[in-house]
Amino acid sequence: MNSLIIGQYVPKESIIHQLDSRLKISIVFIYVIILFAAETSLNYLLFFILSILCMSLTQIKLSFIIKGLKPVWFLIVITFVLHIILTREGDIWFDIFGFPVYKEAIIKGFEIALRFFLLILMTTLLTLTTSPIAITDAVEELLSPLKKVNVPVHELALTMSISLRFIPTLIQEVDKISKAQASRGLDFRTGKMKDRVQAIIPLILPLFISAFKRAEELAFAMEARGYRGGEGRTKYRELRFKNADYIAGLSFILFLVGFIITR
Amino acid sequence: MNNLSFKLAFAAIFVVLMAIGANIATWFPLLKVSGVPLTLQTFFAILAGLLLGKKLGAFSMVAYLAVGAVGIPVFADLSAGVIHFIRPTGGFLISFVFVAFFVGLIVEKSEESIKTYLIATFVGLMTNYLIGTPFMYLSLNYVMETSMSLVTAFQIMIPFFIKDFIITMAAAVVLPQFITRLTKAVPSLATTRS
Repeated sequence: MNSLIIGQYVPKESIIHQLDSRLKISIVFIYVIILFAAETSLNYLLFFILSILCMSLTQIKLSFIIKGLKPVWFLIVITFVLHIILTREGDIWFDIFGFPVYKEAIIKGFEIALRFFLLILMTTLLTLTTSPIAITDAVEELLSPLKKVNVPVHELALTMSISLRFIPTLIQEVDKISKAQASRGLDFRTGKMKDRVQAIIPLILPLFISAFKRAEELAFAMEARGYRGGEGRTKYRELRFKNADYIAGLSFILFLVGFIITR
Repeated sequence: MNNLSFKLAFAAIFVVLMAIGANIATWFPLLKVSGVPLTLQTFFAILAGLLLGKKLGAFSMVAYLAVGAVGIPVFADLSAGVIHFIRPTGGFLISFVFVAFFVGLIVEKSEESIKTYLIATFVGLMTNYLIGTPFMYLSLNYVMETSMSLVTAFQIMIPFFIKDFIITMAAAVVLPQFITRLTKAVPSLATTRS
């Protein structure tokens, strides 16, 4: 459960940590899109080098990053296996218990698996090096042009920040409720399906009531402080581009040029 | 009364509730049906539509997806990231926005009765699968670059649908009682809806 409570952010003083969160999000966003346009093996090599470089610059232990990637190993393996089973064309490479494995399948499967790996590595690095609050701030600023077409960008960012604040609180609450109801002898393992579903009420209802009571208190506090939407609000933390950000941005543009040349 | 503070606070709470609903079996291991952990996400998305209405309900689901997209582990199995939107199950996540919207639409248009709740819940569930399954087909074919037909994709989802149908419809039966008690405890919830 702890992983959800602390989130994935690892506070450190590395170059990557200090980059502007808007820049980091933009780079990861572009990276994810062009990764799907990668064709040649040289392309993949470039992506690989960039990702490994970023990873080493974060100063986060390799073992920690690999642990963070754990939930997706499964997806990567499944993708690979699916390809071997479903691809039915090209040259047969070898047989496993009479099941032909095609050369095409191995290459294609490896390519897609590598793509997933790089994709997940890069997005994980973003959240490992950027605090959730910096991320929501950046989201608000990056999406702010959408305000012109009446997209509630400020409201969305604020909702995200509020929810971040409530995640640990409500998780503790769920813990308490589950213990409290267990101590009263609530049991779902036996009985008819209908009874078991009905028994969800003693779990979900207290959770909803306490959650919405907290939300109500917060809303009253916001009202008392005169919250009137995003118009004219100032910020405690301002995002600003520094020299390192320009260098990082330029390097990424160089990478893009290299990508287009090798394609 | 300026409702904005209440709206944002309630929408934010639903983001957290969705995160809990996705991982409910972590706390209540008893909520397992023949070994498969149950998620209450679809049910919670339906509740978002019921309690917050179509606009705010859909807004809260967008916020949930956004929180997950920027890397806070709020999706099932405590995972996160934009990658979830292109995974085969990504369509089910995206569909929650529409689930909340359509459920809200139905509840706002008709009077509160157990029949309305049952219809709204059923429509919500159908929205979930009718968006999620074709998306799964697209993801398998164009992202994972494997080949699977749309018909096969629907066939695979049938047992999951039956399981969800039974659970969600059974939950819908207790909805009137649930909502009455909840709005009694938190009065401002009733005024924020609509």
